[in-house]
Amino acid sequence: MAEIVGGVGVPHSPHFPGIVARDEPLAPELRRLYGEASAHLRNLAPDVLIFFTCDHYNIFFVESVPIFSIGVAPSASGPSDYRELPACTVPIAADLARHLQAELVRAEFDVGMSQEFEFDHPVTVPMSFLTPAMNVPIVPVFINGLIPPLPSAPRCLALGVKIRDVLQQLPGRTRVAAVASGSFSLEIGGPRLSPTSHTGIPDPAWADHVLARIGAGEVAALAADASEKQLAEAGNAAGELLTWIAMLGLAGPGRATFLEAQPQFGHAFGCWLTATD
Amino acid sequence: MSIYAVNKLCYRVVREPALRQALTESPEEALRSATPPLSDDELQALLAGDVGYLSKQGANHFLLHQLGRFKLLGLDLPTYADRIRAAYAGK
Repeated sequence: MAEIVGGVGVPHSPHFPGIVARDEPLAPELRRLYGEASAHLRNLAPDVLIFFTCDHYNIFFVESVPIFSIGVAPSASGPSDYRELPACTVPIAADLARHLQAELVRAEFDVGMSQEFEFDHPVTVPMSFLTPAMNVPIVPVFINGLIPPLPSAPRCLALGVKIRDVLQQLPGRTRVAAVASGSFSLEIGGPRLSPTSHTGIPDPAWADHVLARIGAGEVAALAADASEKQLAEAGNAAGELLTWIAMLGLAGPGRATFLEAQPQFGHAFGCWLTATD
Repeated sequence: MSIYAVNKLCYRVVREPALRQALTESPEEALRSATPPLSDDELQALLAGDVGYLSKQGANHFLLHQLGRFKLLGLDLPTYADRIRAAYAGK
C-alpha cells in the first residue's frame, strides 16, 4: 500500500513571487513561511503529491465547470493566467491520476477527468516555492471552490478521505503527501474591497476560526461550520478553504507541526505529519 | 441577454494578447466583434469602463477585475476598485 506521509497548506498570491524576487519588505517573511512548508515536504520525501487546487476561471470556465476533476495529462505547463511569472512545467503522475479518478468514480464520487490543460497560478506559485526543481510529480485534484455552486465542505472532506482509502489499497511503498492551495477569507474585485486595494478580507473572524479549528485538528467540525452561506460571506475566493479540508481528509487530521497565519491576507501556512497506524 | 458575454470577454482578455491590443487600439470595434455578442447596454458600459453597472448586472468580479489588471477601457486596478466601491457606497 502507498504510505500517506503528511501534507502542507499554503496560499498562492500571484504577487508573492515578485515580492520575493525584488526583495521587497515582505520577502523575508514569505521566504520563511514557504521555507517551512518546503522543508517539511523535503523531510517527508514524497514520491508524489496530491495537489488540491481551485481553477481560477482559466481551465474550465467556458466548456464546463466540474465540481471535482483530476488532471491525467503527463504534465502541464503554466501559469496560464500570469505570463509575467516564470514559466514552468509540472510533471503529473498520470497513471496514478487515472487510477484515482477511476476508483473515485467507482466509489460514487463523480470526479471528472482533465486530459489537456495549462495550470494557473494556484498551482504554479506554490510549486515554485515548494519544489522549484519540479522533480516531484503531482496528481492535480481540481475542486470547484470559486464558481458557485460549490461542493459542500463535508463532501470535500469525504473526497480526501476516499483518496486516502484508494491510495492505501495500492501495492508498493509509494510515499504520498498532500498539498492544499488557498485562502480562508478573500474577495477579489468584488464589493467587499479594502479601502486601498482591489482585494479585501471580508471576514477576518472566520479566518481566525478556521485557523483555530485546523490547529486543534477539528476538521469535521470545520467542515460543518463551512456552510455555503459562511463561505460566501468570507469572500468570492473563500471557497479555496475546500482544498485545505480535502487535504486534511487525506493527510490529517492530526495536529499541525507548523501553523502560522498572515492575518492581513486572510490565509495561513501549515504542515502536517500523518500519524502511522 | 445573459451577462455571460461580458464574463467571456474578460476571460479572453487574460489569455489573448491580440484581444487586449484590439481593445486598446479600437475598443468599440473589438467589443462589437465579441462572441457571444454583447448587448447594447453591456457594450456601452464596457466602453465607459462602468464596472459598477456591470457588477450590478451580475458580472463576475473575479473576471471583471481583469479589465483593470490589464489597463483596458480606461481602467486600471485603483480606478476599477474606486468604481466598484462607489457602486456599493452606503450599503
